Amino acid sequence: WPERRQASAETEGKWVTAACWHNCGGRCLNKALVKDGMVIRQKTDDTHPDSPDYPQQRACARGRSQRQQVLGADRLKYPMKRKHWEPGGGNKELRGRDEWVRISWDEALDIVASEIKRIKEKYGNESIMAFGSEIGRTLSLYGGYVSVWGSTSYGTWLETGPRIGLSSGNHVNDRMDMRKTQLLILWGANPAWSSAGLPTYNYLQVKKAGARVITIDPLFNETARVLADEWIPIRPGTDHALALGLAHTLLVEDDPETNPLIDWDFLHRCTVGFDKDHMPPGADPKENFKDYLLGTYDGQPKDAEWASEICGVKADRIRQLAREIGGTERVSLLVSWAPARGNNLDSWPQALMALGAMSGHMGRPGSMTGVCTHSGASNNGPSLVRAGGNGLPNIANPVKLRLNHNEHWTAVLEGKYMAGKGPGVTEPVNIQMIYHAGSSALNQKPGLVRGVAAHRKVEFVVAHHYALNTSAKYADVVLPITTEWERAGTLLSGNREILIWAQHVIDPLFEAKSDMWIAVELAKRLGLNAEEVCPISEEQQLFNRLAGAQVLKEDGKTWEKLLTITAEDIAEMGVEGEPQTGRITLAEFREKGIYQVPRRPGDNYEYVHLAEFRQDPEKHPLNTTSGKLEIYCQAIADHVRNCGWSEISPIPKYNRPTEGYEDTFADWEKKIKGDYPLQLYTIHYPRRSHSVFDNVPWLREAFPQEFIMNPVDAEARGIKDGDIVKISSRHGTVIRPVYLTERIMPGVVTLGEGAWADIDDETGIDKAGATNTLNGAIPTGQGHAGWNTCNVQVERYDGPLPPDHTWPQRVIF
Amino acid sequence: MAQKGFYYDMTICIGCKACQIACKDKNDLPVGPLFRKVYTFEGGKFPRPWFYHLSVGCNHCADPRCVQNCPVGAITKRAEDGLVIQDPSLCIGCRLCTWSCPYGAPQYIEELGRSGKCNGCYELVDQGQNPPCVDACVMRALDFGDLSELRAKYGGTNDVAGLPDPGLTNPAILINPSPEARR
Repeated sequence: WPERRQASAETEGKWVTAACWHNCGGRCLNKALVKDGMVIRQKTDDTHPDSPDYPQQRACARGRSQRQQVLGADRLKYPMKRKHWEPGGGNKELRGRDEWVRISWDEALDIVASEIKRIKEKYGNESIMAFGSEIGRTLSLYGGYVSVWGSTSYGTWLETGPRIGLSSGNHVNDRMDMRKTQLLILWGANPAWSSAGLPTYNYLQVKKAGARVITIDPLFNETARVLADEWIPIRPGTDHALALGLAHTLLVEDDPETNPLIDWDFLHRCTVGFDKDHMPPGADPKENFKDYLLGTYDGQPKDAEWASEICGVKADRIRQLAREIGGTERVSLLVSWAPARGNNLDSWPQALMALGAMSGHMGRPGSMTGVCTHSGASNNGPSLVRAGGNGLPNIANPVKLRLNHNEHWTAVLEGKYMAGKGPGVTEPVNIQMIYHAGSSALNQKPGLVRGVAAHRKVEFVVAHHYALNTSAKYADVVLPITTEWERAGTLLSGNREILIWAQHVIDPLFEAKSDMWIAVELAKRLGLNAEEVCPISEEQQLFNRLAGAQVLKEDGKTWEKLLTITAEDIAEMGVEGEPQTGRITLAEFREKGIYQVPRRPGDNYEYVHLAEFRQDPEKHPLNTTSGKLEIYCQAIADHVRNCGWSEISPIPKYNRPTEGYEDTFADWEKKIKGDYPLQLYTIHYPRRSHSVFDNVPWLREAFPQEFIMNPVDAEARGIKDGDIVKISSRHGTVIRPVYLTERIMPGVVTLGEGAWADIDDETGIDKAGATNTLNGAIPTGQGHAGWNTCNVQVERYDGPLPPDHTWPQRVIF
Repeated sequence: MAQKGFYYDMTICIGCKACQIACKDKNDLPVGPLFRKVYTFEGGKFPRPWFYHLSVGCNHCADPRCVQNCPVGAITKRAEDGLVIQDPSLCIGCRLCTWSCPYGAPQYIEELGRSGKCNGCYELVDQGQNPPCVDACVMRALDFGDLSELRAKYGGTNDVAGLPDPGLTNPAILINPSPEARR
């Protein structure tokens, strides 16, 4: 060790920009010190001096651990097959517990190709369900495959957002403009954990510029601790009720003369559906939002008391918050996607939009309402620097059958699915093959217990991965793939100001191959034209992206090429192309590994979302039926109805979520609790980016995947801090060490999503605490995943559970 | 004698442990020993809880117990900058350093049968670089340098709830404490 330590302190060797390619929302700069073909140390952005206006893109604990991810002892080294596999599956119940046998690439590819061929010929292409991109090219050429749809991260923003006039993703102002805000409300957002890296630091600048900060969340989280002047605890899945309570207060307390809380001018000019005088053509005038809030026709005002009973925020506090939102000139009302990730929450984005429109916090400097999360957390607006296309032509999938991710495991088991043709219309389906190409679908889709059963039913399961993740564990054949560090290089974008050139760091480990190589080799065996699968080399694809990269000039209007590329550069890369002139040289971009657009307050890159629309909605209409923000939106009601599982109103009426707060009661009126009395919501956890990194020892040590609950709930169950607890839902059971804290709302518990399931076949208990073991696959609304609505019971567990970082790594050869 | 040390702004730390991991990486440590560790303290009652973090490496004390107690002289305090440095090749694994440091800075490494500690990354400092934990901080809560310069720049205290009485060893650390950590 002293020798190794000495080596790791060296500055000899070569620093190479190494991809941190994960889907956490952060996109940071990682560099690897490469010596003798090995990575001996990492560092982060030091390519320019650091300042709040022009900050370095510093990496989080996950990115800093990447060499344990890429060079882990548990890397899959060779193609492997399940010992008792035979064509057709053999004893399929052994999936997930059979022994593994090393095989050659030839044998592995022959098995996969022959099973694809056999299953296609016997059952047709509509029996092959696949997850992954490159393999999709081969399967599409071979007649196609069943794909899977459904909103995961975005929750109900995916379909509701665009139809009501916002968008599914990020749609607020940029970070410089945000410093003008007086009141920053972070609602259901914890960027310190979910978008680690820059966002929390950007928000700190907003606070330093003088903004008061309020967080609304079931947990007094890390972001709240650093930023919040006030924390408002709320029950998961009830944000919609709070928004209605706030809107009602604005409505009944507003007086344009003495107490102006509502921006009537904006509401009347820029929205439809607020009151009976501003309805879209054909709509029932009684179905307006104002009368719904007042309870004119249903007898129930959606007042602060009504909201309080559901969301758990005191009525007085709701009124006070409404006055603060309505009475402050510049407010940032920012949500993550998380409050939209619950069963039946299709109308929540519309309720938030209505609240923002009423208070007028849209389309003005320092004033904004909407989603601010993931790669846009703390900083929105169009990208200022962007990569070119890779030039790879798309290959259309001839199979149109798609299964919703709340139904796909059930569809395998029961042979039918909802066809998207209206309520109750199902059609038959016969899935006999599951193809995971670098996917974590088994772990990361709702209903994991049913998912395992589905994997044990079909005739063939194959997985590509670099480690034995959950999808690979239940496969018949696993194919070892390279990570981005072992490939030709790629361009990565994240926040709007950066473009990263991640480069080849090390050669492929053991027998690992790229997903594209596998796609090509299978194509050859299936008698397809391999040229069609991959007509452009990885190097040429990279070059195309580099040559096509553009950057916005300081005027904020015109684009120029990012890179100057010489004939020598082209020859050195061994690709085809034309020399070009751009802002920086290829050599400089390669050396730094990043191009970051310099920013300063008042520059031409500041962005105010909906500014032109606010100014003149007729001249700059939104892409909605009416061209305005739709507080009455027939399109979203129609879309949800056509999905077939549930129905919503065109105005954002409160919908009772399945497995929300109300469902923790056996008798809601008398407030008698049921068998699953606690609300579980599932957070992004700093150990992982979704499921990626869960196997990394340093991160397991740092973040032990504890189950978080309030001491009040623990005491009632005889649970003490550090105990092992058993958490049961209607869908599955996990065990975890418990972390008791006053920071979480009583009645609410939480667990980080993404742990690699470790299910005991005898007891059915998942000792890793994969949240999808607890989450059921419950299709509602637009078919989004409902991860933040789940009811559980918790009890003390008397068996042992060693800390995760002491578990043996999943080494199968 | 000049004294180098760390500054830590507890009020803006998000407990992300990027510093802890950067330290593991730089020192190539297995699971177990942590030359820099992020602790968490909490209290209060719902709905008014509080918590804070404390990121601690070696505090390169003016009166380092580890130096005094190491029987083989493997730990020394550098004259030029006061960094307390252990030479792992001299360590006999007796663990006296781990028992004598009130901060738990020296760590016993089972696999080696020897101890190790935060040496302030002196090899990098000597080349004009920061310790990697400092440059890793996503919130810019850590700094490193001449203690008197850090004091002039930030102020701060070495006496916070969660750390031992600074009178024991006179640690070279400056902390901007959260309200609940003030003593």
